[in-house]
Amino acid sequence: MIEFDRVSRRFGQQDALRNLNLQIDNGEMALLTGHSGAGKSTLLRLLLLLDRPTGGQILVDGQSTQQIQGNAVGHYRRRFGVVFQEHRLLFDRNVRDNISLPLEIAGFSPKDANRRVRAALDKVGLLSKERADPNGLSGGEQQRVAIARAVVARPEFLIADEPTGNLDPALSAEIMALFEAFNQVGVTVLVATHDASLIARSDHRLMTLAAGQFIQAEAA
Amino acid sequence: MTRAQKRDQARSAPWAAWRAQHRAAANNSWQKLAVQPVVTGVTWLVIAISLALPSTLLLTLDNLSAVTGGVDRPPQLSVLLTGESEFPVAEELQRTLNAWPEIDDVVLLDRERALSQFIQQTDLAAVVRSLARNPLPHTLIVIPMSATSEVAMTELGQRVQTLSGIDRVIVDTRWVSRLETALQAGWRWVVALGTVMLMGAVLVLGNTLRLAIEARKDEILVVHLIGGSPAFARRPFLYLGLWYGVGGGLVAALLLMMMTWWMAGPVNTLFLLYESPLRMRAPGAFYPVSLIVLGGSLGLLSARLAAERYFRQLVSQAAS
Repeated sequence: MIEFDRVSRRFGQQDALRNLNLQIDNGEMALLTGHSGAGKSTLLRLLLLLDRPTGGQILVDGQSTQQIQGNAVGHYRRRFGVVFQEHRLLFDRNVRDNISLPLEIAGFSPKDANRRVRAALDKVGLLSKERADPNGLSGGEQQRVAIARAVVARPEFLIADEPTGNLDPALSAEIMALFEAFNQVGVTVLVATHDASLIARSDHRLMTLAAGQFIQAEAA
Repeated sequence: MTRAQKRDQARSAPWAAWRAQHRAAANNSWQKLAVQPVVTGVTWLVIAISLALPSTLLLTLDNLSAVTGGVDRPPQLSVLLTGESEFPVAEELQRTLNAWPEIDDVVLLDRERALSQFIQQTDLAAVVRSLARNPLPHTLIVIPMSATSEVAMTELGQRVQTLSGIDRVIVDTRWVSRLETALQAGWRWVVALGTVMLMGAVLVLGNTLRLAIEARKDEILVVHLIGGSPAFARRPFLYLGLWYGVGGGLVAALLLMMMTWWMAGPVNTLFLLYESPLRMRAPGAFYPVSLIVLGGSLGLLSARLAAERYFRQLVSQAAS
């Protein structure tokens, strides 16, 4: 379970987040929305320990992230699969090597890694592109490779920051369907998006941020 | 069983995982070198020159030191008496000089014995017999006390020269001390040159690795974001530095062998000039192995320094 307990993040004189309270249960899928600068990215960065709160605390399965320091940060981040808006694929590696990166980091044997990469590719519908160069893939395919990389190590939490930002509505729906599929097998999913059509189609909990505070948090 | 526990169960044993990560990083880094043969070749050559030049000088000095080490003859004065000085005068001078505290021993070479030795060595008996008288003077070989400096030897020679009945004083075997002094200066020169060249190699390697890190900063950031440790992110660059260093060391060993072969002629001639039976030694196994180990160590050191510096910048960029 992810909990934000009166979390604040201040940059100089400006509050990016103000006394934010949030709870996402294990196995839940939630959408986080808001205009640019509302604090969505700050919230995700705090959750991934890319930044630290200036007030309050974040608890993951009851453990405060303030206690996580040094090498433990890497171990903590491995509990999360992260999908970025701009994919962040490595274009000097093929699709298979991109997806296997989290498995290399986690210390999987090449045999296990290969099996898991193929399973992840199968789930995102790109099994035939295992050896492909990411440069030759469409935007939607690249995003699906990024999702495969995020889920290949079977993380407990899947975090996506504007995952459909560069995609057309049909592809956006496909990507959301993938997130829902992972959520159905028990992965806790948090998607930050300002894609109105995506939000309209979703029946998951929606949290709306404005000026660093929630203005709407409604259950599905 | 939680998902995390299932995931941990599927992982390799820590040691096997560590080995697999190292193998992957080493192979990956080697492949990066192989796809850029010109850059790799030039970097190896720069490192090789930085290592080979001081080591060739070191090897040469090592060889020349053997010449001075093989000569245990102390510096001495050859005192040539005037042609008119008879044997009793020479004996008197020998006694006088032996009494001087700075002189260890004085040997008298009488002119008749010197002439017979000359005839034996030169085979010029007929010429010598045609002379009206023996042209060689009586000679005193003066051996000073040990640890006599070159200045003291010169002063001693000047003082001996003032005695009556003496024609010339020749300071002999001074070349040994001169060569030793030159070699000491040479060692310092090699150490200074070697240090500067090694620093140059570290800077060249550091810059090459900085460019490699720059070119792969996306990979470093992704690794950082998805939970890779700093050691995991750093590892490919450490191997890159190692391959550059070891490759440079290997090329340096080849250069050293080539330069040794090229220098053997003049150095051996120098040995002959100093009547030494020695010949220039080949580098053997010590020099090539040392060059490869030194190259590898420099590569690792440079990679570590470059990675520490630029990773910190990249990670702070990721956090901003």
